Amino acid sequence: MAEIDVLIVGAGPAGMAAAIEAGKAGLRVVVLEQHQTPGGAIFRQAIADAPAVRIPPRVAAIRHELSAAFAASRIETRYGHVFLGIDSDGFVLAEDRNTGAFVTLKAKSIVLALGAVEKILPRPGWERAGVSTAGGLQVMMKETGRAPAGRVLLAGNGPLLVAVAAQMAALGNPPVAVIEAGDPFRRFAAGVALAAFHQHLAVEAFGYLRELRRHRVEWQRGATLQRIERDGEGLIACVRNSAGEIKFIRADRIGLHDGIRSNEFGLAPANARGPLVVHAGDCREALGAEAAIADGRAAGMRVAAALRGFTHAEPRELTRLRQAEAILSRLFAPVETAHPLAALPDDTVLCRCENRNVGELKALCGGADGLTGREVKHHGRFAMGSCQGRFCADNTAALMAHLRPDLPAPQARDLTGTRWPIRPVPIAALAASGVGQAKEQEI
Amino acid sequence: MTAPIFRFKGRAIPFRPGESVAAALDAAGVTLLGHDALGQANRYFCGIGACQNCVALIDGVVRETCLTLAAQGMVVVPMEDAGG
Amino acid sequence: MQSRHLRNAVVIGAGICGAATAYFLSRRGVNVRLLDARAPAAEATGAADGAVSVASKRPGPMMNAALLGIRLYRELAEAGLLADLFKTRSTFIVARHDDECAVLEAHAAALSGAGVGAEILSQATARGRFPALAPATRMVVEVRGEGHAIGYRIVHRLIAASGLAVDRHEPVTRLILCERGQRIRAVETAKSRIEADAVIVAAGGGSGALLGLAHVLSPRKGQLLVTERAPSLNAGMPGAIMSGRYLMSKGSQTGPNGKPARGIGLVVDPLTTGQFLIGGTREDGGEAGSNDIDAVARILADAVALVPGLANIRLLRGFAGVRMAVADGLPLIGRLPGLTNGYVVTGFEGDGICLGPVAGQAIAALACGENSALDLTPFDPGRFDGLKVAA
Ligand SMILES: Cc1cc2nc3c(=O)[nH]c(=O)nc-3n(C[C@H](O)[C@H](O)[C@H](O)COP(=O)(O)OP(=O)(O)OC[C@H]3O[C@@H](n4cnc5c(N)ncnc54)[C@H](O)[C@@H]3O)c2cc1C
Ligand SMILES: Cc1cc2nc3c(=O)[nH]c(=O)nc-3n(C[C@H](O)[C@H](O)[C@H](O)COP(=O)(O)OP(=O)(O)OC[C@H]3O[C@@H](n4cnc5c(N)ncnc54)[C@H](O)[C@@H]3O)c2cc1C
Ligand code: FES
Repeated sequence: MAEIDVLIVGAGPAGMAAAIEAGKAGLRVVVLEQHQTPGGAIFRQAIADAPAVRIPPRVAAIRHELSAAFAASRIETRYGHVFLGIDSDGFVLAEDRNTGAFVTLKAKSIVLALGAVEKILPRPGWERAGVSTAGGLQVMMKETGRAPAGRVLLAGNGPLLVAVAAQMAALGNPPVAVIEAGDPFRRFAAGVALAAFHQHLAVEAFGYLRELRRHRVEWQRGATLQRIERDGEGLIACVRNSAGEIKFIRADRIGLHDGIRSNEFGLAPANARGPLVVHAGDCREALGAEAAIADGRAAGMRVAAALRGFTHAEPRELTRLRQAEAILSRLFAPVETAHPLAALPDDTVLCRCENRNVGELKALCGGADGLTGREVKHHGRFAMGSCQGRFCADNTAALMAHLRPDLPAPQARDLTGTRWPIRPVPIAALAASGVGQAKEQEI
Repeated sequence: MTAPIFRFKGRAIPFRPGESVAAALDAAGVTLLGHDALGQANRYFCGIGACQNCVALIDGVVRETCLTLAAQGMVVVPMEDAGG
Repeated sequence: MQSRHLRNAVVIGAGICGAATAYFLSRRGVNVRLLDARAPAAEATGAADGAVSVASKRPGPMMNAALLGIRLYRELAEAGLLADLFKTRSTFIVARHDDECAVLEAHAAALSGAGVGAEILSQATARGRFPALAPATRMVVEVRGEGHAIGYRIVHRLIAASGLAVDRHEPVTRLILCERGQRIRAVETAKSRIEADAVIVAAGGGSGALLGLAHVLSPRKGQLLVTERAPSLNAGMPGAIMSGRYLMSKGSQTGPNGKPARGIGLVVDPLTTGQFLIGGTREDGGEAGSNDIDAVARILADAVALVPGLANIRLLRGFAGVRMAVADGLPLIGRLPGLTNGYVVTGFEGDGICLGPVAGQAIAALACGENSALDLTPFDPGRFDGLKVAA
């Protein structure tokens, strides 16, 4: 089989844009995508006949243009393929979910466009059934065209919450409330800056807010979700509002969201001996769809050029979009200035996969011996489980830094390390792959 | 034409073609997908294959229900009954 | 109990050897500084399997040392220090092919002769004791009284029990000798110069550079795999499995077309978490790096052939480490030739988790002018010429 020139992982906006560009250069391009359709987190396709989730007209136009160009490029896209990593010999590893087979590929260059994951701060009870991420609710809504059923509470921080709320409302089931840690209305300067700097984002945000008002959805700003308890079959959320009062809200589902961060877990920095590896889109820096497209395009051009011996710089739009993101974060800065992890009760689950809690981390950080992130993983099992740190490594590192202000702040990467598989993979697939047979001698 | 179904804990779960196992279970009112080896609730959480909280044994293989499309006659078994 | 001879010591390297040495010195009242270039268990000790085992040994000094190593683990477990960290279990050596059976039979006899509890199980007994095992195995030898310990957890426990705060990210760059060259006066790091009454080099792969030992020590990479939890399969495995092939030719072989030699010795260890640790390779070569698909697929195919139930669970992660092997196959444990207060404890290749504590105990005793149970004669670093501290 001919060696692939450019292997792109992820058919979200970044991967699609990269594929289109690299394809234009006449290179052999292959895309791997775990889903059965392209589009990624933002342009996820609905199943046949399902009503589409409402997206702002400008976003719809971007989507249309990208999808059309991707379809026209006729790039070979292998759906149902979960990327597992790059091995020490430079082979790209994946599992073909359509057949259960293990796949190894060799490519001259690799663009990793694995997108983002949501940041979720731990709160007592976040591990319960019925609690998901707000983006997770949105994913399901986009896929099925149905709003999540029952009483839904959205809580956390950031603009995605209002977007999901408005989309739910438009599909007929507005959330019971949106609990927002920030208060953009009080961040007047940032609001003005956003309006001036990235008018479209401001317009979109107003559109969502109008939708919420129309459906009388309460957007509680400066409020935080304190804990989640069971309530018969449902859930009960304990919320502290901006006046400091504690209120209880009953819900069947709770969608949490505290921002997004790059999904680069476990990925090794480029290996000098291996193929050229470039990260693109949210996988490089979580700046949203517009930036993902620009960055994906640049990555596609960069690998195409590099295969001919040039390198290419970051696209200029990114500076502007990074500033827009920074303004958004200022706009949504939590009103509460105390560290969001500082006051958590000891029995709050920090690492869901391994069921490790805040008290266990405090015990490890209490002694005179200042453990590194890797040691905390080893001795406390934080970030050791199946999600491979995607939902606890940041929080564990942040709490460690808070507990030991005198030591250098650990990073999520110190806990997760870099290794493959980046996602758990059935042993049957590997054992039956036939790879390595007869090459090794036994000792 | 009757809707296609898959099985979960002996229940017939209807689904629409193209829908994930997680979405079909959710529509059928199932939010608790089983329990992991530590006894914690398995549930739909991130929706993008990242959290691994939504796994079940699907036709004999451990899979994320959020990434696996439902298929006629599929058998979905909670992890505590997987016998691993 | 303050040692009569020693007030303070510097231990270089916080792997299992350094941590054990530091622990046993601290117990004697010696004031210890434990330095590591990175952090405790950052190298081999943090990337090891953890068999505390004599099952693959032939009679000789390594078998004797391993038996003492196991005994020490058991004592420290009984004393409470390692109670939850030392899992006692048998090792089951399994033959899949006829040619392995004769080797296995002879090996079982040799183990029994040396006083190790080893027994060839009948097919029916093997099946009853070990439901997870593939029915097609030809012969099973159970080696009793062994155990398993996770290296990094042992290190953490020993350090915590010593009450030490490790100097992390503090690589030792040089040993500074006194004028007559008979004593180490201090060790030099990037940040400081630390004087000590005694210096113990337990720096694993870093020992070569400090002691001019590069020609004696050679690295051997190993790759290991960890699965997700599978409690019921785990319950069907009363101990570790070691492939009989492992015994047939231990050591590395020349690789094809000039590639570094490597071999696979299959070991499957059921962990107390319900997970499985599956290994491993032995590869001639320096850097740990990461895993390669050839090795991983081959290890897993072999593992599934012996424990078919593994096919139904998922691989969670892989990792690789580097063992340090000494040219003659025996570790270096003892006083540095020509120096009155310098010691080395390294070169344990694939046995350092088993032997690290007992070797650390012996070095601590030696540094304090006391005897220990372990006869250090075969491991004397003085057996190599040219070993000298780069002054
Ligand atoms: C749950 C969620 C919802 C979001 N919703 C919105 C929104 O409504 N509006 C908005 O502006 N932004 C949203 N975002 C932010 C969004 O990430 C960006 O706007 C944009 O989609 C980024 O594009 P991308 O191509 O970099 O990543 P993505 O769009 O995330 O694309 C990454 C692609 O990689 C695939 N992938 C990931 N891992 C693997 C693997 N191991 N093997 C194979 N394929 C893999 C994914 O399936 C996906 O198709 C959301 C993010 C998340 C996590
Ligand atoms: C894959 C694999 C599987 C294994 N399986 C087993 C098994 O089942 N059973 C068993 O008994 N053994 C096993 N081993 C072997 C065992 O891990 C090693 O023999 C043992 O860990 C060696 O310990 P150490 O303390 O000598 O070295 P290390 O653990 O390497 O520690 C040396 C320490 O010194 C530090 N250092 C280096 N240079 C300097 C410097 N200049 N200054 C300061 N610090 C320095 C390093 O950072 C490191 O932390 C295995 C090893 C591997 C790689
Ligand atoms: S919901 Fe997170 S992996 Fe499926």
